[in-house]
Amino acid sequence: MTRKEIWVYIERNNSGVEDVSLEILGKGTELSNISGYILVGLIAGTPEKKLIDLVIEHGADRVALLKNEMLNEYSTDYFVNAISEYIKNDPPEVMLIGATQNGRDLAGRLAGRLKTGLTANAITLSIDREGMLLAGVPAYGGKILAEIGCEYGRPQMSTVRPGTFKMKEVKNKKGEVDEFIPNLSAIRQRVRIVERNVSEVNDLTRSERTIIGGNGTRGDLTLLKELAQLMNAEIGVTRPLADRGVAPRELQVGSTGYSLKSKIALVLGVSGSEHFTSGIRDCEEVIAIDVDEKSEIFNHCDYCMVGDIFEVLPLTIKKMEETR
Amino acid sequence: MKNIIVCVKVVPKSDNIIFDPVNKRLDRTKAENQINAADKSAIETALRIRERVGGKITLLSMGPPFFEPFLKLGIAMGVDEAILLSDRNFGGADTFPTALVLATAIKKIGNVDLVLTGEESSDAGLGQVPSQIAEFLDFPQVLFASTTDISGGTLIARRSIKGGYEILESDLPAVVSVVLGAYQPRFPDFKKKKWADNNYKVKVWNGEDLQLSESVTGIKGSFTTVKRLVEIPQSSRKKIIIDGTPEEKSSKLVEILRKAK
Ligand SMILES: Cc1cc2nc3c(=O)[nH]c(=O)nc-3n(C[C@H](O)[C@H](O)[C@H](O)COP(=O)(O)OP(=O)(O)OC[C@H]3O[C@@H](n4cnc5c(N)ncnc54)[C@H](O)[C@@H]3O)c2cc1C
Repeated sequence: MTRKEIWVYIERNNSGVEDVSLEILGKGTELSNISGYILVGLIAGTPEKKLIDLVIEHGADRVALLKNEMLNEYSTDYFVNAISEYIKNDPPEVMLIGATQNGRDLAGRLAGRLKTGLTANAITLSIDREGMLLAGVPAYGGKILAEIGCEYGRPQMSTVRPGTFKMKEVKNKKGEVDEFIPNLSAIRQRVRIVERNVSEVNDLTRSERTIIGGNGTRGDLTLLKELAQLMNAEIGVTRPLADRGVAPRELQVGSTGYSLKSKIALVLGVSGSEHFTSGIRDCEEVIAIDVDEKSEIFNHCDYCMVGDIFEVLPLTIKKMEETR
Repeated sequence: MKNIIVCVKVVPKSDNIIFDPVNKRLDRTKAENQINAADKSAIETALRIRERVGGKITLLSMGPPFFEPFLKLGIAMGVDEAILLSDRNFGGADTFPTALVLATAIKKIGNVDLVLTGEESSDAGLGQVPSQIAEFLDFPQVLFASTTDISGGTLIARRSIKGGYEILESDLPAVVSVVLGAYQPRFPDFKKKKWADNNYKVKVWNGEDLQLSESVTGIKGSFTTVKRLVEIPQSSRKKIIIDGTPEEKSSKLVEILRKAK
């Protein structure tokens, strides 16, 4: 590619677009300013014009549209084929994809097909003087950040953890749109969705006040929900509770869940594993209650309360109600 | 069912890895090792599928010889065979050559209906190996499955998605990555463990056995490199201790929560 470009995969969903795609555009604008690379939003399917405008308003200099109705719903076979055929002869320098389930599904396979390097779940991104993308990935449960570069192969690929970067609207931004119609008639879709059941969800990454329950709640979130209502807070959980189905996965906080940016987070009965604490690092104020005074969580909070949540919470709820 | 392959990795427990900030290196010598937790869920998934539809389960792992006793643990859980892919040239691999080595071994085993892996490893946590194995084998892939079953020659998997779940069906053969916590893995059978420790011999294949040249495996076959390790700054939280009776603690808590409004 004569013009060097950073491509951002725009993941569509029922309400339009995944936030993470716009967040990456926000970071991409910054990278583009530093490196001089052109920022391109890659959209697949036949989206409304509104979506294309949104991508440009969030920083894209150009939109590459892979126009085909078969791309309106994600499928590994169609997407990997369409994207790889489109870019393999003239790959961009950088390709960034949100680390959602489907984003990770796509990224791994695409990197395999394009024979290039991929880094996963980045929480930092930079481009060095030689034009190498450095993607920072928390390793070993979040103790260490490994900055990974792609030495060979193009594009230099990385997935990006949702909730990491801020989306930015760029006023009066103009962008061109390039259309391409991929031919997918010969591709067999080998994995098919036979049932899907979804309900409206709250986006935890935007929650201002969050109460997070861990194993210490014994899987009973009744008290947490009562308190949440009184302080107008959202509920989050640790992974074991999400694994057991006590709460849906999108309420999971941590390295394989969501990262919070809450003003206040109340953490109840959580042992403070690094997989968890990476998800509350960016909260302004953290309060923790745990029966075990040696709990690691007390190294990650502003207010440390040794106590039984089943004792402290009912009293707290009562007082909140009285002094409402 | 014909062959079921479960790909596993042995990982250090992250709690006892020490980072040396001066040399910017990891000291893993004090770390205990274990089979990656999500991979154990994959083993359990395979055992359940075999109970229903039969098949032969082979554990497959790429790594140094010290992995062997961990693979025997899998034998004690009930898998039929264990193969270690071990060669000095395999060292330092990123996900691309790792998946290539695993996929090549799967082709060598042959007659494979299903490849199971954990969703990701706890050490590097990239989660890319499953889809790259699928790519190199040209199999379809289902990632992050919480339940996996075979019915009428088709794979049926359920996975959690934002706000709910979806059920997918896939052609076979397929690659499926299993989430941590999908099933509670069974304990190794004590007698089988003893037997395996003394009598079972893990099969070892090297690069030559797989007919893979040095240039495509290990560091040489990798596209990415770790440029730098940085310690993630520990939180600079205030760590104010709140003491007292439950009564006093709850009053203080109310005060903090109110202030934040
Ligand atoms: C690859 C991988 C990814 C992971 N991703 C995540 C992730 O995204 N998010 C996540 O959360 N975890 C994740 N984990 C799991 C993580 O390592 C921990 O196992 C998990 O966070 C522990 O959850 P917990 O703190 O709720 O439970 P526990 O570790 O069981 O801790 C429970 C705590 O509750 C306290 N307690 C018990 N009773 C009471 C009481 N009555 N009152 C007050 N306190 C009480 C105990 O003292 C203890 O400290 C991941 C693990 C792996 C391997």
